[in-house]
Amino acid sequence: MTIDGAAAPPPVLLSERQIADRVDQLARQISADHASVDELLLIGVLRGAFIFLADLARRLTIPTTIDFMALSHYEHGSAPSGAVRLVMDLRIPIAGRSVLLVEDIVDSGETLSYLRRMLEARGPASLKICALTRKPDRLTADVRVDYVGFDIPDAWVVGYGLDFDNKFRSLPYIGILPPATKS
Amino acid sequence: MSGFQPPVFIPETAIAERVDALARRISADHAGVDDLLLVGVLRGAFIFLGDLARRLTVPCSVDFMALSSYDRGATSSEGVRLIMDVRVEIRGRHVVLVEDIVDSGDTLAFLIHTLEVRRPASLRTCVLARKRGPEGRLARLDYVGFDIPDRWVVGYGLDYDNKFRTLPYIGVVHAPDDD
Repeated sequence: MTIDGAAAPPPVLLSERQIADRVDQLARQISADHASVDELLLIGVLRGAFIFLADLARRLTIPTTIDFMALSHYEHGSAPSGAVRLVMDLRIPIAGRSVLLVEDIVDSGETLSYLRRMLEARGPASLKICALTRKPDRLTADVRVDYVGFDIPDAWVVGYGLDFDNKFRSLPYIGILPPATKS
Repeated sequence: MSGFQPPVFIPETAIAERVDALARRISADHAGVDDLLLVGVLRGAFIFLGDLARRLTVPCSVDFMALSSYDRGATSSEGVRLIMDVRVEIRGRHVVLVEDIVDSGDTLAFLIHTLEVRRPASLRTCVLARKRGPEGRLARLDYVGFDIPDRWVVGYGLDYDNKFRTLPYIGVVHAPDDD
């Protein structure tokens, strides 16, 4: 552990204002795209997406309902297929429903690609993906992300739900960790 | 039901002010703690936790627990079951359990017992809303956002049949046996 909790806060990459403005825009776009939907099911991927989801959900102008999934990587590193272990599955069946999967960050995209295939197999009426951040330089999977908050550089970002070793998740802005902080 | 907009009971600004006040108190009570663990209870607490966590001035980590929901009509003491446990070990940690609403207090008591046997350094409870019902208060509450009457409230994470969770304010709907 090389980070002291009391150390100086990480420098700002995206300010609270920038994030709030972008979340507003995304919410307007998502609401417009789902104007005819009776009830949009928002699926938050834990733990990273909870702050983004909380802000986004409150700004949507269409009726929504919420559910969560929790994932964990398999032992011995991540599977090349992007396969992950489902720690907690949805409570709500998604067959025939309009679904929006809400993620904090898209890195290689392999996990997201796996999630998309897994959820699509359950036969939703529609499935779209909204990610707060995406690292274009890291993408290896061919996965469509329908709504992207910010394309960001290939650096370790924290805050607004994103963590480093489970720290800095609750920062109200998105900060960037200098390479030296990583152990 | 999708066309129905529940009337405002607690507006957004009042919630934000109260969350600020709670965050100041929790931060003051945990000054010097180097990594406070916030445990949010799904699904209802995620909005409250999202706002509260961002306003704390002490370093914190976040984890979640999920419980089985009981059927409407069942009392809250029936069938409380852990669907998802926290991922981190809490022995020796300072913990604040964050819940959306406390009614009978049975669910909260279950959670407190579940966590206390793991011997955290401290365990405090924070709820957005406490219902003033006919029964006495059983569970110990350290931080309470609002004391509310025995009405069915929705929004800001609270639901009615999983609807209205994402309203930015707290509104009121009729109790199921009213309609």
